[in-house]
Amino acid sequence: MSSTFLDLTNELLRELNEVPLTAANFESAVGVQQHVKDSVNRGYFDIVVDEPQWPFLAVDESGTVDPMYGNVARSTTEGTRWYDLKQAATHATDYGSVDWDNFYITTVGVTGETAPYVGQNLRYMTTEEWKDFQREQENVDDADNKGYGEPKYVIRSPDGRKFGLSPIPDKEYKVWFYAWALPTKLSLASDAIVFPEIYSAVLLAKARYYIWQFKDNPQHAAFALDDFKKGYRSMRSNLLEPTPTYFKDDRVRYI
Amino acid sequence: MAVSQPFGFACTGGLNKNLNELEILKIPGAARDLINYEVDIDGGYRRINGFLPFGYPTHTRPDGENKILGLTQYLDCVIACVNDGIYITQDGVTWTQINREFVHTGGHLTDNLTLAEWNAGGTAPTGHGSAPIIVRTNQGQCSFVFIESTGHIIILDGVNAPYYFVLGGTIGDPLANRTFHGHTIADADNQRVGAATGVIYRTQFITHAGNTVYIAGIDDPEDLTSASTGSISLDQNIVAIKTFRDEVFIFCNNSIYRLINVGDADSQAVVPVTQNVGCISAYSIQEIGGDLVFLSPDGIRTLAATARIGDVELSSVSRAIQPIIVNIAKNINEYNISSEVLRSKSQYRLFYSKDSEEREDSKGIIGTFTGKGFEWSETIGIQAPALASDFDELGVEKSYHGDNKGYIYCHDVGASFSEGSITEIFSIPSTYDTPNFDFGDLGTRKTPYSVKVSVTPEGFMQPTLHVIYDYGDVNVAQPNPYLLSPASSPSVFGISQFGAGSFGGAANPMILQPIQGSGHTLNFKITTNDTAAPFAINGLYIDYYPSGRR
Repeated sequence: MSSTFLDLTNELLRELNEVPLTAANFESAVGVQQHVKDSVNRGYFDIVVDEPQWPFLAVDESGTVDPMYGNVARSTTEGTRWYDLKQAATHATDYGSVDWDNFYITTVGVTGETAPYVGQNLRYMTTEEWKDFQREQENVDDADNKGYGEPKYVIRSPDGRKFGLSPIPDKEYKVWFYAWALPTKLSLASDAIVFPEIYSAVLLAKARYYIWQFKDNPQHAAFALDDFKKGYRSMRSNLLEPTPTYFKDDRVRYI
Repeated sequence: MAVSQPFGFACTGGLNKNLNELEILKIPGAARDLINYEVDIDGGYRRINGFLPFGYPTHTRPDGENKILGLTQYLDCVIACVNDGIYITQDGVTWTQINREFVHTGGHLTDNLTLAEWNAGGTAPTGHGSAPIIVRTNQGQCSFVFIESTGHIIILDGVNAPYYFVLGGTIGDPLANRTFHGHTIADADNQRVGAATGVIYRTQFITHAGNTVYIAGIDDPEDLTSASTGSISLDQNIVAIKTFRDEVFIFCNNSIYRLINVGDADSQAVVPVTQNVGCISAYSIQEIGGDLVFLSPDGIRTLAATARIGDVELSSVSRAIQPIIVNIAKNINEYNISSEVLRSKSQYRLFYSKDSEEREDSKGIIGTFTGKGFEWSETIGIQAPALASDFDELGVEKSYHGDNKGYIYCHDVGASFSEGSITEIFSIPSTYDTPNFDFGDLGTRKTPYSVKVSVTPEGFMQPTLHVIYDYGDVNVAQPNPYLLSPASSPSVFGISQFGAGSFGGAANPMILQPIQGSGHTLNFKITTNDTAAPFAINGLYIDYYPSGRR
């Protein structure tokens, strides 16, 4: 069972010889107790800000709809270019990160579609490139013949809230991509951390760094920061880079 | 990196309600609250003893549920004034009414009755007069004048004429084998009706009624006519008369006089000592530490003799508890005031309570006379409209108090407040509250790690330690109270019994208590609310780490 917000806070409070909190008075913590709670959240956000694509932040598991890679699917509409990455969201609640190199379009799973299905990767195109080579004729076509077409490229809206397809879809497709959520601040005493408990020491080390600064003890704060850095490196290595590392060389040598 | 800092202090100075939060830090051992503790003459603050009904467990009341108006130790007995009667007892179980008007046929004060004859009242035994009850109508708070040379006692209640009583026979014998004589002192013009206090000065009985002092004849308290007698009127009502260092002092509300040339009707007179300081309660005047202490409107003052003959010095000794005294003075007409001196403890005790108050709300103050003057504490839970402390026939100091419900108690005994009306024993609630320590720097946050409390247990004890940060600020987390480790008085070889004592214990153990929390100031409160044996707190030692200024 993962450590809860209450557990993490009390571990730090005990270490500081401060008064521990209970589930009953957790919400109404004041003074140093509240600062410790805030420091736990700061430490958590520091871990996530540095790397938004932690596995534990994934919106959903891959393969939920096998054999699709992505964990989010959007259905296209004939004649519509732009689609919300996250529906019914705001800037504050959008996805934390999207893998723009892994958009996939298909007609598998679309009602009424039969073989041969469409299935291809959507190449990411910058808005500059799209503006120079695609936008003009697509906009004219949309206003005139409405021929549209099968999308081959995906573009990102400047506000980061939508993805765009080029050409504009000529029918319904399913677009799959991989997304990671924004971290959620710990709030209730029973809120549990979303990463393996073994790495709670990394979060505590960063929280401890802030707390010792509050206590005007730079030496202890430096120790805590050092502990955090070591633990963070291990956490990255174990959670983000567990696979073997290869180096691909496409060069051809003519003898 | 911050290192551990020590801070220790001894419990000394007593209660101080006068100094502000910062000034009081100059005397860290002083207390902001010291309730049901007494300043121990051996040092430290000692949880007070309780009280037990006189005659427990078969104790009785002299006259039902009526407030005790006066108490005194008389020879081997205790005299109690209650309602409209005066009673005497040897054991607190059987009370004999003594306010009888002995119409004697024999010689004045030599004609006595046996107990049976005395109790018979209206019957006139052969060779003796009758002794019907003489009702002391509307009897007020009483005082007593003991004539040591004759063993007689005069009882004054501020309403009726003084009452004269003699218990004859061998001290220590049961009352059934003793003789009784008693009558009111009847003056021709009822001059001394309403006398409240009196003294024996050399061999003359001096009392007062209204604004007049009456000086009786030599060896005859009833004589107001011979050459050595006299009366002197003042311009204000007299509160009390007291002798001190072979002089007679007359206390009024706003002035003090000295009676000079007593016995010489032509030259006896009153001389003012001060006309700006007076006494507001006759029952607050006691002699302790070679001085006379009394309650004046601006505090408890002493009338101290100086090296110069006939000279006195007036000073206030209650500055530390001025707010308490001001409250008493403001409500003096509502309070029943009584006082005593516990000689064995060098203590002056004053109790004040209203008729409407319950015992648990009744208060008092205790002043221990130390080498540095009076050090004070408060009491709550002792209702004592009547109080007496004196030596019994064996020379042992005994103390008694009476309450509003008519019960008499042995004062300052035991470890509980044992009310007379029921068998339930009440705990003694006690509180010792230290100043808010800043350890020399109010701006620095301190994280204490432990407290050591030095105690002197007299039996099993287990007080509770409260730690409060930043003056009890609600925005600072305050830890829950800590129940300290128990301590017991050590066992002494040859005295203690196996299973009943604490073997290997120390006489003055240090109880270690780890504590949590942090703040800019720290305050400790040690409380008990139990019937455990008394104990003394000698001092505290705190181990803390200073951190930043936030």
